[in-house]
Amino acid sequence: MRAPSETPAVALTGINLSLGQAAARVHVLKDIGLNIGRGEAFGLVGPSGSGKSTLLMVMAGLERPDSGSVTVAGEELTGLDEDALARFRGRHVGIVFQSFHLIPTMTALENVAVPLELAGTADAQERARAELTAVGLAERLGHYPAQLSGGEQQRVAIARALAPNPAIVVADEPTGNLDEETGKQVIDLLYAGQMRRGTTLVLVTHDNALAARCQRVARLRSGHVDSVDVP
Amino acid sequence: MSIAASAPTSATGWRLPLRFAIRELRGGLRGFYVFLACIALGCMAIAGVSSLAASLNDGLAREGQVILGGDLAFTLIQREAKPAELAFLERQGTVSRDATLRAMARTTNGQATLVELKAVDSAYPLFGAVKLDPTGKLDAALAEQGGVYGAVADPTLLARLAIKPGAVLSVGNAKLKINAALTNEPDKLMTGIGFGPRLMVSQAALKATALIQPGSLVHWHYKVRLPPSHDSAAALQAVVKNAKAQLPQAGWGIRTRAKASPRLQRNVERFTQFLTIVGLTALLVGGVGVGNAVKSHLDRRRETIATLKALGAGGGRVFSIYLTQVLLLALIGGLIGVAFGAVMPFAVAWMFKAILPLPIEPALFPGDLALALLYGLLTALAFALWPLGRAHDVPVGELFRDEVTSEARRPRLIYMALTAVAVAVLAALAVLLAYDRRVAIVYVGTAAAVFVLLRGVAWLVMALARRAPHARATSLRMAVANIHRPGALTPSIVLSLGLGIALLVTVIEIDGNLSRQFTHEIPAKAPSFYFLDIPSTQATQFTSFLKTQAPAAKLEDVPMLRGRIVSVNGIPADKLKPADDARWVLQSDRGVTYADAVPKGSRVVAGQWWKKGYDGPPLVSFEQHIAEGLGLKLGEPVTVNVLGRNITAKVASLRRVDWQSLSINFVMVFSPNTFRGAPHTHIATLTLPNGGTAAKEGAVLRAAAETYPMVTAVPVKEALDAIGKIVGNLLLAIRGASAITLLSAALVLGGALAAGHRHRVYDAVILKTLGATRARLLGAYTIEYALLGAATALFGGLSGSLAAWLIVAQIMHLPFVWLPWPALIAAVGAVVVTVVLGLIGTFSALGQKPARVLRNL
Repeated sequence: MRAPSETPAVALTGINLSLGQAAARVHVLKDIGLNIGRGEAFGLVGPSGSGKSTLLMVMAGLERPDSGSVTVAGEELTGLDEDALARFRGRHVGIVFQSFHLIPTMTALENVAVPLELAGTADAQERARAELTAVGLAERLGHYPAQLSGGEQQRVAIARALAPNPAIVVADEPTGNLDEETGKQVIDLLYAGQMRRGTTLVLVTHDNALAARCQRVARLRSGHVDSVDVP
Repeated sequence: MSIAASAPTSATGWRLPLRFAIRELRGGLRGFYVFLACIALGCMAIAGVSSLAASLNDGLAREGQVILGGDLAFTLIQREAKPAELAFLERQGTVSRDATLRAMARTTNGQATLVELKAVDSAYPLFGAVKLDPTGKLDAALAEQGGVYGAVADPTLLARLAIKPGAVLSVGNAKLKINAALTNEPDKLMTGIGFGPRLMVSQAALKATALIQPGSLVHWHYKVRLPPSHDSAAALQAVVKNAKAQLPQAGWGIRTRAKASPRLQRNVERFTQFLTIVGLTALLVGGVGVGNAVKSHLDRRRETIATLKALGAGGGRVFSIYLTQVLLLALIGGLIGVAFGAVMPFAVAWMFKAILPLPIEPALFPGDLALALLYGLLTALAFALWPLGRAHDVPVGELFRDEVTSEARRPRLIYMALTAVAVAVLAALAVLLAYDRRVAIVYVGTAAAVFVLLRGVAWLVMALARRAPHARATSLRMAVANIHRPGALTPSIVLSLGLGIALLVTVIEIDGNLSRQFTHEIPAKAPSFYFLDIPSTQATQFTSFLKTQAPAAKLEDVPMLRGRIVSVNGIPADKLKPADDARWVLQSDRGVTYADAVPKGSRVVAGQWWKKGYDGPPLVSFEQHIAEGLGLKLGEPVTVNVLGRNITAKVASLRRVDWQSLSINFVMVFSPNTFRGAPHTHIATLTLPNGGTAAKEGAVLRAAAETYPMVTAVPVKEALDAIGKIVGNLLLAIRGASAITLLSAALVLGGALAAGHRHRVYDAVILKTLGATRARLLGAYTIEYALLGAATALFGGLSGSLAAWLIVAQIMHLPFVWLPWPALIAAVGAVVVTVVLGLIGTFSALGQKPARVLRNL
């Protein structure tokens, strides 16, 4: 495992974000400042509605803060337009969703190849095959998501997130839709991949046991960072 | 295990969007059937119509010599060629002469009927072959035997008079023995549509009839076959040029094999344009289906789109992937349609060749087919770019939050601009390739207005539903809410159903009005007979005779000559650029008359009528509308060739003519001194009281034919029947083409309702979970569909009636009567179709078990 370096992989300063319109507008993130080191496994925990997922989206360049600065992999995100953010994600960010979000019309192999193809990688299929083999799905390359179990789908999603060798992988409740045993296998794969590559992992979870495997854990409450602890 | 990174290559270009688009389509075309059908139907209609027209034009061009009966045809009216003219023609090649005129044929038992008489010489036909039944040589069939001349007749004439070959007829002073039925007359198309069946005789027989008197309405055709060494297109044009230069006074109409039947070709082009417009309408209606299909496809793919964006695809890349998909689908649909369209000429030739008197040469016309495909692709683009543009901005955040409804935002400016460009190119293509650009521009404008108007109607219906008072009945309240809620079906239903009903009502109203005209209105005021070729020396006697035959009948009688306009205000007729609705006046010879007083059924609107007994330079009174179309003004000269003499007269007055009065009327009325001493005939109309009876008409016809065999009687009912049949055939073609559009509209409506199905299932399950019974839900859906159908039917009925009025009253210049029943039946039918189609989809939604659906929500 690579030790957290001094130059942060993610640097958040004074992040504020409100969602919704008019009377329904809610101040979701309130003056958040966080540094996450390179190669660090970082957990985000907190009750529902505390802003964990929204904070994750800000780090992935999927949500624009109203104010504050977001630097990921050395790149300041706040000035980038929609397409530049998409390209940035393609190069530097891997995402693992709770609901997998595989593309139903593509096979496992094609799903993993998508970010590589979008980035213009020449040997996208070969690398996708290697990634799927690494998560133990070498026999399931030609299967469509509907033909895979939940655990297998999430393994495909992990392979897809790791395939472009991103600087940071964000995972939103990656075991939320899986049974305990499958969840454990999936999370082992995720950590193994992260450690092997020295990738920064930011994990949103409700599961304390899962959070305990992170090097540091931030607790969020009502849009504030309550504490950052080493478990 | 560590996986090495490799260098990126270019991810730009079309390969990646194509690869992703194909991957998505691999799962099948479910959800795209309406899309495919709409594009296929539209492309089929356009490709079919243009291929058929091209086959016909090819046939006309290839069969030019046969249709014309020669390489060139020179037509003279009321006179034969003078020696110098004949000598000129004979210098060019082999000449065949024939004469055509209308005449009365009488049977030995006193029956009489109008025939189109054609007297041919021994050289006839120069091209093609005459076919007889029983088979035999034409010369032999027309030969004289013991003072009785041989003749061959169209099978229709034999059927009409209930006679068989061997029967003897009288025409004028001659006795004719029908020796065979004429089953193929090669140059029949050249003479156009006749009011009677063909009776073919020899020139000696024509002479024996004594029908050819000075001023008789007879056309003399001189067909010329050029020698093979001199029959190039250039040689053909040289002959025409020389004829005009050497014999400027001849006043003959000249046609070449290149344009054997210009009137037919013009009509083919005009009708092709009309049917192309109907095809375009089918495509435009289908475009609504394309737009709906793309929108609902992208709605279903929001998660995939968001995932692609999360994985690094920019909005532009997402747009290009789905644009590629739409273009692929449009290409598939277009190719299916074009394939069906391409076989249409073959199918028509195979099915109807025996009954269609047209030389269809079926073939594949790649240019026309490519154009139809282009129309299909452009229509798909015009309707798909807007919803595709919205895909650019699908937020990735949807993957983290459950969002139930998607916002229907406007796409970015670039996509709105691209949509405008696609629409503009489509419109420009339709206008630039049109036979009549004015009509095409009006069509494009009307189509655009209808779309905007239907959007407005949808908005109005939704606004009214939003402001409707709170109903106490739950089903009604739910129905009204469904009409205006976000993502409601209202806009797409109003658009597809509105277009369908408007078109249906337009066709029904036009159909009804034309039928009414030809079965009630015109016959009620039309005269019972037109009598042609009454020698001027017998005109008084003949009118006296008619008065004794039908004392209570109304009788009109005027002198008539035939003349061809040679020049207008010094500009030769072939150099004039007349308005479309005035062109016909220049196309062949016209009836002209002279009169001391303003003829009945017309009034002078500019200039002065000449004084009785006027004896100055020739003057003419012109019909106002035609004069305007020719650019002719008061005081300007017009030259008309009458009986081989060019006569120049100044326009003294302009008249407005009520053509629908069916009184005898003419575009040109000359001062009486213009034709003093010229041989001419009279034309008379006889209107029996209360429309007459078949028995009375028959009696008058027999008596007139017996007593005045030289006079040709045209029973107007028969003529109207003939016109009615042509109009009926045209209406049939219009109905057929409109049926494609209606089918398209029904598909779009079905597609729009199906697109709402996912929301319906969701709504139904939630409402059932909350305690709504199936009956209540069914009631609410029925009311919703009925309200939507009724509101749209009202608009469709009104706009369809308006369109029908425009076409009938303003374009066809016929009186328009609004027929409420057909419009009402169409409207009620539309409501029923909407409710039934809507409920078919909804039934399955009602049957869904809440638990199963809720688990998957």
